[in-house]
Amino acid sequence: MITAHSLTKRYGATPAVDNLTFEVPAGLVTGFLGPNGSGKSTTMRMIMGLDVPDSGSALIGGRVFRELPWPLREVGGLLDAKAFHPARTARNHLRWLALTNDIPMRRVDEVLDEVGLSSVANKRAGKFSLGMSQRLGIAAALLGDPAVLLFDEPVNGLDPEGIRWVRNFLRRLAAEGRTVFVSSHLISEMSLTADRLVVIGRGRLIAETSVADFVARSGRGAVKLVTPDRAGFASALAAAGATLEDGEAGSLTVEGLTAPQIGDIAARDGLRVYELTPVAVSLEDAFMELTQDEVEYRPSSMAGAVGAGVTE
Amino acid sequence: MTDTTQAFASAPAGHYRFKHVARSEALKVLTLRSTAITLVVTVAAALLVTGLVANANLHHGAGYYFGFDPTQTSLVGLIPAALTGGVFGALLITGEYASGTIRGTLAAAPRRTMLLVAKVAVTATAMAVFSEMLTFAAFFLGQAVLSGGGAPSASLGSPGALRAVLMTGAFIALLALMSFGFGLIFRSTAGAIASFVGIVFVLPLVMRGISEPDLRYVPTQILTNSVMSTVSLGPGGVVKPLSPTVGLLLMVLYAAVSLVVGATLFVKRDA
Ligand SMILES: Nc1ncnc2c1ncn2[C@@H]1O[C@H](COP(=O)(O)OP(=O)(O)OP(=O)(O)O)[C@@H](O)[C@H]1O
Ligand SMILES: [Mg+2]
Repeated sequence: MITAHSLTKRYGATPAVDNLTFEVPAGLVTGFLGPNGSGKSTTMRMIMGLDVPDSGSALIGGRVFRELPWPLREVGGLLDAKAFHPARTARNHLRWLALTNDIPMRRVDEVLDEVGLSSVANKRAGKFSLGMSQRLGIAAALLGDPAVLLFDEPVNGLDPEGIRWVRNFLRRLAAEGRTVFVSSHLISEMSLTADRLVVIGRGRLIAETSVADFVARSGRGAVKLVTPDRAGFASALAAAGATLEDGEAGSLTVEGLTAPQIGDIAARDGLRVYELTPVAVSLEDAFMELTQDEVEYRPSSMAGAVGAGVTE
Repeated sequence: MTDTTQAFASAPAGHYRFKHVARSEALKVLTLRSTAITLVVTVAAALLVTGLVANANLHHGAGYYFGFDPTQTSLVGLIPAALTGGVFGALLITGEYASGTIRGTLAAAPRRTMLLVAKVAVTATAMAVFSEMLTFAAFFLGQAVLSGGGAPSASLGSPGALRAVLMTGAFIALLALMSFGFGLIFRSTAGAIASFVGIVFVLPLVMRGISEPDLRYVPTQILTNSVMSTVSLGPGGVVKPLSPTVGLLLMVLYAAVSLVVGATLFVKRDA
């Protein structure tokens, strides 16, 4: 289990991570979601003791990373896919890592086998493709058979097959009871991989919730309406404070009212309804909505909506 | 679903220690391509220059050999080795920063002081063993050329010869450690090597025109005039070089300052 408490890190005046508190429980894949530059990598570096927080703490099983007796046997991290010396072979890269924590050398071949790199074990890692590099990084993270695993954007740049492989791998690790914390800026990917989400924007916590809750709690749902009486609905819905947009294939998208409310209006005004369907907000929409004021490098309205977000 | 009673977290008692980290660092040095390249280039350059220098000191008139120092003559060919040794020392740490390996290293061994002591111990041992072997080889080669050509030569039993050989090897290792310190400070190969070459090879050229007496404190001058020398230069206005012991201790100090500054930054800085 990972616990971050009031984690804060500034680079210059602007905080990269701002008073961040969350938990990553064992046995689940927890997705760490946020737009580019929102502080995901910085947070992960602080958890792994690479960066020192300005204030707050990040603990692994109640301990600070630097005080772990056998770091590699307790925490496996993939923070940067290419973090190996290009001239060393994959096997030698894993061998020096294993030595630091007195990990038996047979583990080197085991993890190489596990990630499917056995046949290129004696090739220089600098020649590896991005996918192979990611696999080597995952092998390194698994070397000490750790209970806690952190992956920073593990599917970045992978092809669909590689993405699916990583996804299944993460799910399997969590099923084994491990703590799996994986960052991404792609909500669609996280919706397939993660059980829980920690969502941040500009270094601040926006939501800590299950994937299903995340969608349910985010903003208004829309309702799809198919009707021949467009003009009638336009005025009636406008009067009720809803907005009406043209959707796909002649349908209309209503926002601001629920399907029963729209049905009642139709009955009241005698308007014909051919179809009336609540549309689940897509994860992308939910994510965009929650983070729109928190995206860096974009002028944002100073809405206070985010501060009163859906944090549990 | 499998039994989740922590089949994985089966770490042995105790914690990782210096010996584990030192072994790991030793394996790193041995599995670097730059190690082999540096080794070959250094040996080839050192022995070639040694042979050439010794050869150039053959067949002169008797006057030429007044105050002639066969030991020093056989060792000056190691100056290029001091340069490659310095580059190698810097690369051992800057290579980790360039490749990002340093993060993996720190994630595996986050106690930074312990890690650094292990790195320095491995670098020092590797460089000391290598440069001592090279220095002895150069000495024997140089003496063989000198005596073969009928010029005065020395043996390890000659006054000061063994001391000069041993200290020269140690001095080159210390230069590599100083450069390692620069690597820690700058974290970039270019910065570290530029400062190493600047201090060791360019500074003496600049100082020659400014302050002759202070030249004695410059590493390369200590190396050639104090450490390698077994014949004290005659009087006659020449500034007396530092004694070999003082010179070597000064080099220890230089390396220590560079390492301590580098270590202080390394322990504090974000990786
Ligand atoms: N070493 C550093 N020095 C200065 N600023 C930094 C440093 N590291 C990160 N930052 C800044 O901190 C903020 C958060 O960066 P971080 O890399 O943690 O974001 P991220 O969520 O991982 O983004 P991405 O999705 O692009 O990987 C950014 O504004 C970034 O510019
Ligand atoms: Mg990142």
